Amino acid sequence: MLGRIKDRSLEVGQTVVDWTEDRTGIVTMIEHFLYEPVPKRGKWLYTLGSATLFLITLQFLTGILLLFYYVPTTDHAWNSIYYMMNDVYMGWLVRGIHFWSANILVVVIGLHMLRTFFSGAYKAPREINWVIGVVLILLVTVLAFTGYALRWDAEGFWAWEVGVKIGSYSPFVGDYMATFLLGGDTAGPATLSRVFALHVWLLPAALAPLIGIHLYLLRRHGEFGSEFEYSKRLSELRQRQQVEEYSIYEDEEGSRE
Amino acid sequence: MAELQKDPISRGEFLAMGVMGALVGGVMIVPSTIFVLDPTIKTNFLGQSDVPEEWIEVGSVFEIPANSPREYRVEFPQRQTFTDGGKETPSEAKHIVNALLVSWREGERPEILEGRSSGNLSEEEIEELTQKLNVLSNHCTHLGCPVRWFPDKGEMLCPCHGGIYDINGGYMGGPPPRNLYTYNFEIGEDGAFYVKHEFDGKPWVV
Repeated sequence: MLGRIKDRSLEVGQTVVDWTEDRTGIVTMIEHFLYEPVPKRGKWLYTLGSATLFLITLQFLTGILLLFYYVPTTDHAWNSIYYMMNDVYMGWLVRGIHFWSANILVVVIGLHMLRTFFSGAYKAPREINWVIGVVLILLVTVLAFTGYALRWDAEGFWAWEVGVKIGSYSPFVGDYMATFLLGGDTAGPATLSRVFALHVWLLPAALAPLIGIHLYLLRRHGEFGSEFEYSKRLSELRQRQQVEEYSIYEDEEGSRE
Repeated sequence: MAELQKDPISRGEFLAMGVMGALVGGVMIVPSTIFVLDPTIKTNFLGQSDVPEEWIEVGSVFEIPANSPREYRVEFPQRQTFTDGGKETPSEAKHIVNALLVSWREGERPEILEGRSSGNLSEEEIEELTQKLNVLSNHCTHLGCPVRWFPDKGEMLCPCHGGIYDINGGYMGGPPPRNLYTYNFEIGEDGAFYVKHEFDGKPWVV
C-alpha cells in the first residue's frame, strides 16, 4: 500500500517535472546551477558569486518591507526609522538585516571581483560578463551611498553633502552635477526625494536586468576553470599536437619516397 | 526525461532537508509578516488607538432642545505615528475635527429637565438621561458625507446621495446601509457630557 503511494507520487512528480522542463527548460537550468563543476583548488571561492546574488535578493526583499514604514520626507525620514527600530515588531531585525547585509554585500562583491581577476575568469570569451560585473559593482556602490543618505541623520546627510562636493569637482559638468544631486541650490526636501527615487527605483531597476544578463552569460559559457573546460581544452591541445606530429611524420615519409 | 535529484538520498537526509527547509522558511516568513502586520496587531488585537483614550467635554445636556438636534464641533488630539518616535505632540495641527449631532430620543426633552437650565444631577437622573440622549456622528454611513437637520422636514438629510435619517439617527431611506454611528459618551454630575473617539465601541470608523 505504502509502496504503491510512493510509486504513484514519484510518477506524478516526474510528470510535473517533465511538463515544466518541456515548456521552460528550467529544470536543466536549476540542474546546471546546483551541480556546478568547479576546480578543486579554491573551490569555496567559487561560491562568492552565489553569495552576492543571495545578498542582493535579501536587499530587495527587506527593502520592500522597509518601504511599508519609511517616509521619504525631511520631517519624517528619521522619525519613521526611529519608530521602525523601537516600536514596530521585528523592525530592528528587518532593518538590521537590510543594513548589515548591505555592508557585507559590498565586501562580498569585492571579493567576487578579486576572485574573478586572480583566476583570470575575465578572459575570452567572458569579457562582456566582466564589463557587466564592473557596472554592477558600481551600481551597488551608489546604492550603498544613497541608502546612507536616506536615513537623513547628521551622518547620512553630511555624507551626501560630501558626495555632492566630490561630484561638483567633475570637469566641465561639476556645477550641473551638484545641482542635479541636490535637486536645487541647497539640500532640502527635493534632495531626499531624489535620493529616494535613485535608491528605490532607478538603481534597482538598472541592477535587476544586468544581473539577469550576468547570469545568462555565466550559463552560456559555464563557470570558468571547470574541470570540463580544462579537460576539453587539454584534449583539444593534445589532438592538435598529435595532428602536427603525424603531419611531420607524413612529410618525412613522403620525402623518403 | 529531466531529473532534479541526481544523487539518491537517504530517508534521514530527506527529513533533515525538510526540517531545515521549514526552519529557513519560518525565519523568512514569520518576522516579515509580523513586521508588515504591526499596525493591525496593535490596533485590532491590542486595542491601541492613534487617538488617546480620553473624554472630551462637548457641552451640557441642559442646552439640548426638544424636537431638533444641536450641532457641536469636537477636536480629538491625534498621536502621529512617525512624529517624535510615536509620542504625542502638542502641535495644534495634529487634531481630528469631528461634528456631532446631539438630540433627545424621539425629540422629547426629558421631564426631569423641565424648567431647569443648570444644577446638579442625581445618579438616577444621569441614568435616565443617558438612556434618552443620542450622540451621533454627522457622517453619513453610506460614504461619509456630513448630514444636516432640516427642521421643516423633521429629518436628517445627506447632501450627496440622498440618505435620510430620523431624529435618533435611525435609517429611513436612501443608500445608507445602517443607522448613524453613535459616540460613546458619559454625563457628569453638573450636566456636562463627554465623548471618546469611539463609534459603537470601535475607534477607527469615520
